[in-house]
Amino acid sequence: MCDSCGCGLPGETVTFRKHGEEHQHHGAGATHTHADGTTHTHTHDHDHNHGHDRTLAIEQDILGENSLLAQRNRGYFEAKNVFTINLVSSPGSGKTTLLEKTLTDINDIACAVIEGDQQTMNDADRVAATGVPVLQINTGNGCHLDAEMIHTAYTELKLKNDSLLFIENVGNLVCPALFDLGENKRVVVISVTEGDDKPIKYPSMFDTADICVINKIDLLPYVQFDVAKCKEYALQVNHHLEFFELSATTGEGLEAWYSWLHASIKK
Amino acid sequence: MHEMSIAMSIVDIACKEAQKDGAKSISVIELDVGKLAGVMVDSLMFCYESVCKGTPAENSKLLVNEVTGMGECLKCHFEFEIDSFMALCPQCESYEVKIKQGRELKLKAVTVNE
Repeated sequence: MCDSCGCGLPGETVTFRKHGEEHQHHGAGATHTHADGTTHTHTHDHDHNHGHDRTLAIEQDILGENSLLAQRNRGYFEAKNVFTINLVSSPGSGKTTLLEKTLTDINDIACAVIEGDQQTMNDADRVAATGVPVLQINTGNGCHLDAEMIHTAYTELKLKNDSLLFIENVGNLVCPALFDLGENKRVVVISVTEGDDKPIKYPSMFDTADICVINKIDLLPYVQFDVAKCKEYALQVNHHLEFFELSATTGEGLEAWYSWLHASIKK
Repeated sequence: MHEMSIAMSIVDIACKEAQKDGAKSISVIELDVGKLAGVMVDSLMFCYESVCKGTPAENSKLLVNEVTGMGECLKCHFEFEIDSFMALCPQCESYEVKIKQGRELKLKAVTVNE
């Protein structure tokens, strides 16, 4: 499974592209920039009896580097009052459609979008059609976005103060759960064409999310999805979750979502 | 799927520490992995081997200490062992459970030689 994944492998080409821009490679995007070591503490509990096996006590969080970079992003967003949303879901839940609709309807707040997909500019092109600045990250074979990629992306996007930044993560309900990007809120999207037991099948993602959007509710008459049951499962995994039930296609339920976005930026 | 990048972080941290210590090679890397850390240990082992190739950690052993999950019920404050995020308090049957332990993903120690 991992040989097909290879996320972040050296030489793996993570690319950052603006709408309409030619294909280009960013070496620094794939190769994570690591801190110089002064920022974390290490205990070297060993004697210098070289020549023999010796054990060094490290006690370091393996994802510490990403967490550190995510905190740097968070500080930047806070300073500029950029409210950042990390949209996560399985492929096909309607994240991009929700974004298109949201960006079209919200005219009074400056928005920007970072799109994450393994390949293609398709989503960035769709977002660009709304007139909102967008940057596409193609992760190659990578299965998630990480804090360093986000840093590179927003530096290129030149975010405005008092704005909204949407990050559409790679469609994958497993891996992105582990990688903090520095977002204010993580929003997991589930559509009613999926199983209502997704929250308990993929609990990590629902556990780390703040908001759960149940999308495509216009299709409820045609599918066997039980909204109450889905919410119950999701709350069993994460009792802090807040829900929005909506249809990005028909617009049903979007008002509550927009009110929440407006309230978030003013805070 | 993300086990590959986690394996790479592990080997990267270990090699840096070994280099700082002036060691030439790594024989053992020891981890704490919580049951709720979202990492498949088998998959991690598989990735680890290929990531180590060509580094000072080549042919090293990965030791994984599994950390059990512990939860505290927010209703009755009962503490109990959990093995999933869907934890039900055995005392009052509430799902409002705070995870106190089990998310660990930590590099504990590295055994190096010359």
